[in-house]
Amino acid sequence: MKRIFLALCLLILSSTGVSAAELHFFVGAGLREPVDRLMENFQKKTGQRVVVDYDGSGRLLARITASGQGDLFMPGSFFYIEKLQARGKIHSWRPVVAHTPVIAVNKSSAEKVTRFRDLAKPGIRLALGDPKAMAFGKTAMKILERSGLKDNILANVVVYGATVKQLALYVAEGNVDASIVGRTDAFQFRDRLDMIAIPDKYFEAETVAVAVLTTAVDLKAATLLQDFVVSPQAIKVFEHFGFLPLRK
Amino acid sequence: MPMGRFFILPLLLIILFIVGVLAALIFQVSPAEIYQAVSSPETLFALRLSLITSLLAVSVCIIIGVPAAYLLARRDFFGKAAVDVLLDLPLVMTPLVAGVGLLFLFGQKWLGGTLAELGLHLIFTPWGAVAAQTFIAAPILIRSSRTAFEAVNPRYELAGQTLGLSPFQVFFTVTLPLARHGLLSGTILAWARALGEFGATLMVAGATRFKTATLPISVYLNISSGELGLALACSWLLLFTGFLLLLTVKWIGRSRNPRAPIGGI
Repeated sequence: MKRIFLALCLLILSSTGVSAAELHFFVGAGLREPVDRLMENFQKKTGQRVVVDYDGSGRLLARITASGQGDLFMPGSFFYIEKLQARGKIHSWRPVVAHTPVIAVNKSSAEKVTRFRDLAKPGIRLALGDPKAMAFGKTAMKILERSGLKDNILANVVVYGATVKQLALYVAEGNVDASIVGRTDAFQFRDRLDMIAIPDKYFEAETVAVAVLTTAVDLKAATLLQDFVVSPQAIKVFEHFGFLPLRK
Repeated sequence: MPMGRFFILPLLLIILFIVGVLAALIFQVSPAEIYQAVSSPETLFALRLSLITSLLAVSVCIIIGVPAAYLLARRDFFGKAAVDVLLDLPLVMTPLVAGVGLLFLFGQKWLGGTLAELGLHLIFTPWGAVAAQTFIAAPILIRSSRTAFEAVNPRYELAGQTLGLSPFQVFFTVTLPLARHGLLSGTILAWARALGEFGATLMVAGATRFKTATLPISVYLNISSGELGLALACSWLLLFTGFLLLLTVKWIGRSRNPRAPIGGI
């Protein structure tokens, strides 16, 4: 009994004792794959420990505001950095890559949906993101409005999702014919779905940017990480997972 | 009593913990936000949907779970230990994973086509929410019903049989009434679980406002869109409903006449 208690104490001490020098990095859940890879590289290179906290960008925003803590923030949409900036919580930000929307189509529905206009055809089953709760839900709604086909397309929506991966899963599983998701989300399931480009005039690509928060404890370490995330070799990792470079 | 005094500290700690969380939640919400939440059609729809789906789910749980629990309490059979573990699995499963599993099972590739021919559409409909909640809540009901049945002395049932009652009559007129307190509190715990269920429902039914968005999903959507006040007000609705449920459990527990019908002959 005593020994178990001691072991527990040791475990707790060892897991919290070294946290002083850690960087806390809030990252949009959709960026998980490249960021996992990058943080591995960064920690190997610098020895700096980073705790990465993945969640939907909107929920991260709520948590940053509620907790008043954390060092860096990289949401899936620039909108969230603007919101924090308005509250004076952003020390500095730098753009990283573009987060572009695409149409993801299940391979078995490939004949039914070959271009954007097909989304409005009667009988097509669509999944979209919740327009208030999800970055790509917001983007999709803007795209529909600009396309002039909003009413017809909305009539085909059979389900709204709360996360973008949920939408990609619905398409990959064939529960719906198509959805509007991020290029990287579709890329992840590319063996089961096709990507169709959305006409450029319907959207502006989202900018993924990495911000140092004003609550950062070690500004030097935080800036080092920010520099690493925008470096050319980091951008290459993002591209490997389906992100597109920013147009200069 | 020194030990009583010593043990009061842990109790105080946990009470402070819970009250602290509740206080932190309520001080974030202004009365205006609560009014906005309870008067918004979306929240009211979500509350109604939550109540209806959870009641249906619990009904299914009772119809299937109570007989199953009785069998487990009274009979031994080959593989009972394995069945036991299997029935508890949904309790330790992350609801989100359960939801993905249900999505696969009821999707087009597996059961979806057959069920659609029968006119039952589970994916992206409120029926999917009922299925998800049933899956998550059933183990709780089965567990407590089984304990309730085990506490009923089989001699009463034997007495009923010797007096000429059929096994079904014995079950309905002797066993069920004697186990009713345990069954009722199990039902209410299962209902509370179904009411708060989120992960599985989200995957199977989706988060479509005014169609499949239950109250917990509505809370999640509002947190995601940064409307913390509205989300918290919805949470309070959920908490209040849960509070009423748990109070009912306590009340049932207290009104139980201790041991009288269960004690040996």
